[in-house]
Order: sequence, then C-alpha cells, then structure tokens
Amino acid sequence: MGPEATRAPDGAARAGNIGVRHVTFAFGGAPAVLEDLSFDVASGEFFVLLGPSGCGKSTVMNLIAGFEHPTKGSVIAGGRNVDVAGRDRVVIFQDSDSLYGWLTVRDNVAFPLRVLGVTARERDERAVAALKLVGLQGHEGKYPAELSGGMKQRTQLARALVLDSPILLMDEPFAALDAQTRSILQDELVQISVAMRRTVLFITHDIGEAILLGDRVGIMRAGPASSIKETIPIELPRPRRRGSVEFGALYERIHQSISEEVQRALRREDSLLK
Amino acid sequence: MSAPRLSAAPVDRHAAVGLARGNDPTEQGARARRFASSGPAAWMLTALSLLAGVAAWAIASRLLDLPLFPSPLQILRALAEMLGNGVLVADIAVSVRRIAIGFVLGCAVGIPLGLAMGLFPLVRAFCDPIVQFLRFVPPIAWLIPAIMWFGIGEVSKIAIIFYMTVFLVLLNTMSGVAAIPRNQIRSAENYGVTGWQLFAWIVFPATVSYSVAGARIAMGNSFAAVVGAELIAADAGLGYRIVDSGQWMAMDQMFAAMLVLGALGIAADRIARLVTARWLRRYVRESEHGA
Repeated sequence: MGPEATRAPDGAARAGNIGVRHVTFAFGGAPAVLEDLSFDVASGEFFVLLGPSGCGKSTVMNLIAGFEHPTKGSVIAGGRNVDVAGRDRVVIFQDSDSLYGWLTVRDNVAFPLRVLGVTARERDERAVAALKLVGLQGHEGKYPAELSGGMKQRTQLARALVLDSPILLMDEPFAALDAQTRSILQDELVQISVAMRRTVLFITHDIGEAILLGDRVGIMRAGPASSIKETIPIELPRPRRRGSVEFGALYERIHQSISEEVQRALRREDSLLK
Repeated sequence: MSAPRLSAAPVDRHAAVGLARGNDPTEQGARARRFASSGPAAWMLTALSLLAGVAAWAIASRLLDLPLFPSPLQILRALAEMLGNGVLVADIAVSVRRIAIGFVLGCAVGIPLGLAMGLFPLVRAFCDPIVQFLRFVPPIAWLIPAIMWFGIGEVSKIAIIFYMTVFLVLLNTMSGVAAIPRNQIRSAENYGVTGWQLFAWIVFPATVSYSVAGARIAMGNSFAAVVGAELIAADAGLGYRIVDSGQWMAMDQMFAAMLVLGALGIAADRIARLVTARWLRRYVRESEHGA
C-alpha cells in the first residue's frame, strides 16, 4: 500500500491539517528553543519529525497539543488557531505514566468518553473495540501496573483511537520498548493509521523508525533556535523492509543530514566550553 | 605504601544487603521465600515466633528471679482476671474511642488541607511555615498545655491524637499531589477535563495511596500518643491502667495492659491492611504506599 493511501479522501474536512507558521518559542527569558519554525502536515498524512536529542522536537509537539504557547508565530490545527489542549489532537506520550493507575485498562481507554458524557454501556463497548484494534482483548480488566511496557503503549494508543480524533500526536512512543516489541508496534501503527486515515505527527530520533513509518520526514536542526532543515518524502511502498536498497539509500541520506547537525551541535558546545 | 585493606576477604555487599532484607537472590533463597510465604508455613512461623518470645520471657523471669518480674503465666492470669471483671474492657473501650475520634478528625482535616496545599501555591505559601514549624513540636510537648486547657477528660487526649494525625496525613497528601505525573494532568486536559473533574477524577484518586500511607503511620503512632497522654493525667484507659498498676506494684496487671496494647496495635494495623486490600487496592496497587 503506497503512502498516498494514507491521505484523506478528496473533499474531506480539513480537520486533520496541521500548520506551524513562523513559530519561535523560548521558556521565559531563556534562549529560543525554536526559531522561525514552519511546516505543514496534510490531513491523513503520517509526518515524522526527526532530529538530534535536545533539538526541541517534544516542544513542537507540546505547541501543537496546546500544552505550550508560541512566543511568536502561530499553530493551526483543523483550520483553527491552537490555543488550549483539545481532544481533536490526542497525545500519546513516551512514558506510560499518563495512564491512570487506579483504573482498569478498559476504564483507562473509556476515560475520554466518560469526559464527553457517553453512557457507561456505550463507552464500554467502544473501549473494548479500541482494545481489540490494538490487540489487547482479554486484558480489559487488568490495571496498568500489571501490563508490560508494550501493552501500556498499546493502551495509550487505544485510548487515543477511541475518540475518533483527526490528529494523533506521538512523542517517541516506542522509545522505551525492546527492539522486538517496537518493531511489532511500528507495523501495527502503520496498519491502523492507514485504515483509520488519521493525521499522525510522530516524533523520534530513530532514523529507521522514521523511514518505516513516515509519508514525509522533517529533519530538525540541532538546537538552540532550531527549525526544520529539510523535509524528505518517503516514497517507498508499504510494507517497508529495512533490508531493501532504497531503504538503505534513504537511511544514508538522512543519516548524513542528521550527522551534520550533531557535528554542528558539538562544535557549538566546544566553543562554549573554551 | 598502598592503602590498608578494610577486609581480608572479599565480601559481596549486595548479597549481604539482600540477605539482611530477606532477598537472598540464590535459588536456595527463593525456595526459602516461597516456603515462608506459603499459608501453613507462615502461620507456623508466626506461632513459633510468639512462642519463642514467651519462652524467652519465662526463662528471664525464672533466671533473674526478681520480685517485680512476673512470669508469663502470672501475666495471663492477671489478664484473664481483668478481662473477667470488665476493668480491661472498659480501658480498651476508652483508649480505642479516643484514638478513633482523634484519628478520624485528623484525617478529615489533614486530607483536604494537604490537597489544598498541594494544589494551590497561595495556600501552600500561607500554611507551609506554620506546618513546618509545628511538625517539629512533638505531640508529647503539647500534653501539659492540652491538659491545662481541656482537663484530664476526653478532649485533651483526642486533641493530642488529632494533632499527631493531622500533620502526618497532611504532609503525605501534599507530597502525593506533587508526585502526580505531569503527563497524567496533561492527558486529562487533552481529553477536556477541567476544574472539579480534574480534582475528582485525577488528583484525588492519584493521592489516595499517599494519604493512606500517612494515615497508617499515624494510626501506629496513635497508640503511643494515647498512652503518653493517659500516663500523665487520666482516670481511665490503657495508659492509665499501666501507670495505676505500676503505682500499686501490680506488675502482672501492668504487663497484661501492655500485652493488650501491643495486640490492639497489631489488630489496628491488620484492619487497616484489610480495608486497604478490600476497598483501596486499586489506588495503592502501583506503589507500595500503605502496603
């Protein structure tokens, strides 16, 4: 299945669009983390933001989620200016500590529906369906502490999917998992996002993961004052395999681009130490 | 010259620490753990432990042969007599009532105040200096003023238990609020949770385990505090019984009262564990607070 399969059908509302326009962001009086950052994500697109550690990737996600506000510029989601957090942009965090330890897996997944005032019966049905989608059937009555790392991240994914939100924001969701679990979840995520036509903004520092998942990869400059250095379309057919020649060529190209940024960051640190 | 070696033989410190905690990592250790935690074996070991305590006491009373060192049998006889004539039951009722009222009032004030201090920086900034000051003034220091103000009756004892409970529960609850993962709050905001919902659905359940931990420590300390208060000035209660028996040199009765005190403390802790396991398990599952 080609990347174009993930695009929303023609005529669909712009509910899944993301627009980041000339955004500068700084914490208080500190130097800017992001400076004049601009990029667009089309509705239904799987966009990966890739960059060296500390370049401000998570800050971009926090801005789109509405957890932080730009110092300058604007963030648009679904055609509207992002002001506060909203359920049209659901976040899947790197740490599974966003799950509620006192609720069962089913109640965790049903939680967003409870906020919406959906009846207990309907939210149970929808939660069970979402859990089935991520392969967690049979674990509905467990508590988060009884789950493995991969199962916790599946629960987070199910909780995000239960809402039919047009945009999923994923902040290195598989970073803490072992390689095998990560690989399985990556495949499942691609299938789910293709089937459900959601816009996904996926943050990672793993080049292989970016090529496996993304329709496009935005490479960020090393911080501070980071922005997008270049955007690379990944026009490989799915399912993608790490061993293919095209995969290797893309990997090399992106690796080269990131390495330059890492070198730049190191030179900058050296000059600061002198 | 090289530095002197601290020990001649290499010692595996981690293993030593593990053994001390009952965490022997070897297969033999695992077998021992499994055996000790199995039902019948656990009961047997508890019975053996109690028997060993009684035996040690019996031997000591026999060997030392002191006139004021009653044997276990003498203590048991005194205990039966005091239970039979109702003296001890009345004392237990008085002390337990004092503890229960002070404890419940302490939790009723400590939990909401701890939540408010954890949630609102202004409340915290206003209350924290006085809380930090008072937590270092132990309940025992307030005994004399409490008795002078409220008399030797119920109020002074309940006030002491309340004072001790309130700070433990308050400080634990406050640290529970501080320990809520930021992602939990953010994800709730992400789903549109606001105001009271955030409090009722996230903050309160997330802090239950911390409040329970504080309450359990307070419950344990309540026994010491009530006896302390009753030792100084009271006309009933287990502390009063201990000091009264001591004054009459009725050591068997004094130890009988102490025996009841220890048993009551264990019973209270067991009840707290049962309540936690029965109704609060989901809140204390993730951490060991209150377990």
